[in-house]
Amino acid sequence: MSEATQGNAASEQFEQFERSIGEVHALRCADCARSDSMVEGVEPTSRVPIPPEALAGFPDGVPRPPVGRQSRRRFLLGSAVGMASIYSAAHLSWESVWDAAAARAATPAAETILVSIYLNGGNDGLNAIVPVSQAQYAGYMAQRQNIARVLGPSGGGKVGTTVMPGTGGTLAFANPLVSGTGNNGAPVGLDTLYGDGSGGAGSDLAIFPAADYQPANLSHFESRDYWFAGALDDQMATGWLGRWLDRYGSSTNPLQAVSINSTLSKSILTDTAPVCAISNLSQTNFQLPFANANPQIASLAGIAANPANLALTRSRATYGETVQMSHEVSGLNGVSTAPGYPSNSDLSSNLQLAATLLSAGLGTRIVTIDWGSFDTHGDQISSQDPQFAVLSQALAAFKADLIARGLEQNVLTLVYSEFGRRIGSNDSLGTDHGAGGLVMVSGSSVLGGLAGEHPGVQGDENDNLVPITDFRTVYQALISEWLGGDPAAILPDGPFPGIARYDGGTTLVK
Amino acid sequence: MSKRAPNSGGQQTNKREPVGVRHHRLHRPPAELAGGRITASTPMSPEMVDRLFWRAGFGPTDADRQQWTGNTLGAAVEWLLSTPAAYSGTPGTDQGAALDPTGNDSDLVLSWVDQMNRSINPFVERMTFFWHEHWANSRESVSPPQLLMTQTELFRRYADFATHPKANFADMAYAVTIDPSMLRYLTGELNVRGAPNENYAREFMELFTLGVTDAAGKPNYSQTDVEQLAKAFSGWQINDTNPNNVYSYFTQSRWYDGPKLVFGEFSNLTAADAVKLVLTRRAHAPFIVNAIWNEFIASEPDAATLKALTHLYTTSGMQIRPLMQAILMQPQLFESLDEPDMVKPPIVYVVGAMRAMGLKITDTTASDYLDGMGELPYFPPTVAGWEGGVSWLNTDTALARFSFIATLLQDTKIKDVQGETAAEAYARAYAAVGSPWLAPATQAKIMHFGAAAQSSTPDTRINRQITLRALILAGPDAQVM
Repeated sequence: MSEATQGNAASEQFEQFERSIGEVHALRCADCARSDSMVEGVEPTSRVPIPPEALAGFPDGVPRPPVGRQSRRRFLLGSAVGMASIYSAAHLSWESVWDAAAARAATPAAETILVSIYLNGGNDGLNAIVPVSQAQYAGYMAQRQNIARVLGPSGGGKVGTTVMPGTGGTLAFANPLVSGTGNNGAPVGLDTLYGDGSGGAGSDLAIFPAADYQPANLSHFESRDYWFAGALDDQMATGWLGRWLDRYGSSTNPLQAVSINSTLSKSILTDTAPVCAISNLSQTNFQLPFANANPQIASLAGIAANPANLALTRSRATYGETVQMSHEVSGLNGVSTAPGYPSNSDLSSNLQLAATLLSAGLGTRIVTIDWGSFDTHGDQISSQDPQFAVLSQALAAFKADLIARGLEQNVLTLVYSEFGRRIGSNDSLGTDHGAGGLVMVSGSSVLGGLAGEHPGVQGDENDNLVPITDFRTVYQALISEWLGGDPAAILPDGPFPGIARYDGGTTLVK
Repeated sequence: MSKRAPNSGGQQTNKREPVGVRHHRLHRPPAELAGGRITASTPMSPEMVDRLFWRAGFGPTDADRQQWTGNTLGAAVEWLLSTPAAYSGTPGTDQGAALDPTGNDSDLVLSWVDQMNRSINPFVERMTFFWHEHWANSRESVSPPQLLMTQTELFRRYADFATHPKANFADMAYAVTIDPSMLRYLTGELNVRGAPNENYAREFMELFTLGVTDAAGKPNYSQTDVEQLAKAFSGWQINDTNPNNVYSYFTQSRWYDGPKLVFGEFSNLTAADAVKLVLTRRAHAPFIVNAIWNEFIASEPDAATLKALTHLYTTSGMQIRPLMQAILMQPQLFESLDEPDMVKPPIVYVVGAMRAMGLKITDTTASDYLDGMGELPYFPPTVAGWEGGVSWLNTDTALARFSFIATLLQDTKIKDVQGETAAEAYARAYAAVGSPWLAPATQAKIMHFGAAAQSSTPDTRINRQITLRALILAGPDAQVM
C-alpha cells in the first residue's frame, strides 16, 4: 500500500485546516484513528502437539491434582519435591512437558532474555534526546519553538535538559527522563541507567537517537508492520522475534515468548513455535466455581481435528497451550511488589508481571509489552512528558527488581516506537508523523552510551530526520550478540551496517 | 469479521495474517449431499439448520431446529430475509436498573447485545453488526454516544430486508458518508474547501468500497484520486446542539466548487456524485461481495461463483438482499458439516451462549467478557474493524471465553435431581446449553468425565451439572460454528 505519503498528506491537510480556523483540537487523522490496536496482530500459531489423553478424571470425582502438577506448583512455591513420581505412565505426554519446565526452573536459566517495549503511536525522540550543540540547538529551537526544551533546568513554564555525558556536550536528556526533583521526581531515571556513557560499569543504557528505515513511510500501520516484521515488507506473516523462535526456540514451550496483553504482538508471530498471551495472573486456569477444569480441558484439547480445518485445529491447540501455560504459571499468584515502580501505570504492572514470569524459570526468552500513547499531534508536552517520567522510573525499577531476583545480567530491555516525528512542530503544539525514532537498550550487560549518532535537525525535503541507524542494525546486534543465532537467517535484505558508536565502538553488549 | 481491505479478486489483501488465516479451502460437499447440489429446494438436515443459524445468526434455538429441519433451505433463508427486526421479552437490565446507553458505555454496548439476545430474527442483528464491522466507528473518538446509536439504526435499515427489501449499497454508502458519526470519526466535518481533509476519501476507497488493489495487484486508485475525491466530500458539518437530535448539514460555501480530476476525468463532483462514481468502478462489486462472503463462509468463492455473485449484485442495482440470499444458499456455507470450520466471533459466542441458556442481560458480564475476548461492540480497534478469523483465539482469550461461561453458570440456578444417572446428567446438561455441536470423541470424553464424577450428594450432583455444561459450552469444540 502506498498510504504512507497519503497518510501524511491527510494529516497535513488537516493541520492546515486547524491552523486556518485557529483552533487546537486533540484530533486524530484517519491513520491515527485506526492505528491504536493494529499493534497486536493475531495470536500464537498453535502447532504444539497436544498429548492425547493427557489427563482423565473429573474435578470432584478423581483424586486430583495429578502428581506432576502438584510437583510443579509446589516447586514454584519453593519447596523441594521428588521428581521421580511425575513419570506416571498414564500421563507421560503432558508430564514430560511439565517436567521439562520443572527442569528448567531447577537449573536457573543462564539463557539470555529480551524484553521488548513498544511505545505506541510514534514517539517524538527529538524532544527526548535534544541536540544542544550551539549550531544544532538554534535550528531545533527555530523549528519547534512552541514545544522546544530549554537548556539547563526546567523553569518559566519550559521543560529543561540535562547534558548526556560522553556526547561531547552535543546531546541532552529532556528532564522528564532524568532522575530527581523537578525532573521525573524519582531517585532513578534514564540518567542513572546511562551513567557516564562510557559503556563501563554502571553505564548500562545504549541510546540510538534516530533509528528507522528509509524512505520514511509515515503510516502507523506500515511502519509498525515493518518494525514488527523486521523487514520492509507488510506481507510478512511472521515477526522478527517469531522467526528467531521458530529457528532457535522451543517447539513445545509457549512460555518461551509472552505478550503481556490480551493479544499477541505481531513481533512474536511464529510459523510453528508456540507462544502465548497473558494479560494477568489473576485468572490463568479454566476455573469453575468449585474446581479447576484444566485436566478435562487438556483432554478435550488433545483430540485430533482434521488438519484442513484450521478453525477447529486452532481452537483445540490454543486450549491445550492454555492449559500448558496455566500449569506453568498457576503458582505465580503474587506479582512483583518490588519498590520503585511508578504507581498507577500499566507499564509498571506489565513490567512487574514480566519480572515475576522471568524469575519463575519458565524458559521465557522473549517478553513483549505495548505501552503508551505517543501519537502527539496536539498538546504534546502535557502528554509526552508524564509518560517519559513514568518510562524512566519504570525502566530503572525494572532493572532493580531483576537485580534483586538475580536475573538482571540475563535480561536486555529494548524500547522503540514505529517512527519519530516531524522536526517542525505544528500549530496545535504537537508534531506530525516523521522518521527516525528513539531506540534504547537497557541492562547491565549493555554497553551503555551513545550507540548511534544523532542526525541533527537538518531534515530532508519533507522536514523529517534522516535516520542514522537502520532499525535492523539494532535487531541484528540483538540476535548476534545477545539472543544468539544467525541474523541473516532471521532478517531479510541484510546484512545491515554494524553498530557505530559515538566513541567508535561497534558492539551493543559489554 | 475480518475485513481489512479484502480485495476485489477473491483473496484478501491482508496477507499480514499468519499462514492459514481465512485461507482455508475445504470444498468438501456435505455428506448428505454426495452427488447432489444444495439448492433452494434442498430439505435441511439438522446439521444444516445449525450451520445456517450459526452463520446467519447467533445459533439455533430448539424452535428453529424443529421448524426448519426437513424444510427447505430456500424457505429458511426467505424467513431470515423477510422477517422484520423485532425483539422478544422485556429489555435487559444492569443490576436491576434500566440500561442507560447514553449514560455509560457499558450500557451502550449492553443495549445492543440485549437486542441481539432478544431478536426474533437474529439475522437482522447479525447483519447490522456486520455493517458495524465494515464501517467501523469507535466510541473512543465519537461523542456523543447518540451518534453511534443512530448509526446502528442506519445500518439496521440495510439488514432488515422485510422493512427495506430494496436496500442497496449505493444508498447506504451515501448515507454513511454524510452520517454524523462517520463525519466525526474520520474528521469529515473538518473537510473544507481550501484545506481538503483526505481521511474519509482514502478510507472510503481503501476500506469501504474498493480495496487498495484489484485481483491482479493493480492499484484501484491513486493519491490524486484521494485528494480530488476529498474535495467532493467537503462541506459537510454536524449540528450536535441537541445530542438527541444530531444531524449533518451541507454548507455550500465550505464545499469545493470546481472541477475534480478523479479516475482521469474532470467533473464538478458533489459527495453524492463521488459515491456513485466510486461504486461504478470495476473493483467495487467483487470487493463488497468478498467482504460479505467472508463474514459467513470459511472458504473463498471460486472465480465462477464470484463472477455470478458480482453480476447479481451489479444487475440488481447493488441491492443487498438478493446477494445475501445467494450467499446464504451457497454450498460452501454448508461445507464440513461434520466438523465446523469457522471460529465464532466473540459477539456470536457471547450472544449464542446466552440464547442457548435462555439468559437475559442483568449485569455487565457480557460486555466485560466481550472486552476480554477482544470484540467490544462500538470499540473496534481501528477503522479497519477487527482482524477476525482464527486470530480471535489465543491463550488469553481462550480463558476469557471459558470464564464467561463459568460466570454465567455460577449465576444459573441448577436443579438437583436425585438419583440421576450419569447418562441422564449428561443429557440434561447438553440440552440446557442448547445441544451444540461436539465431535463424537469430545462427546465421549465428556460423558466419561460425567461417569467418573461424584454424585452422592446434592452439591456434587450440581457440580457435575456445572462441569458438564462448561465442558460442553466452553471447551474447544464450542468455539467453532
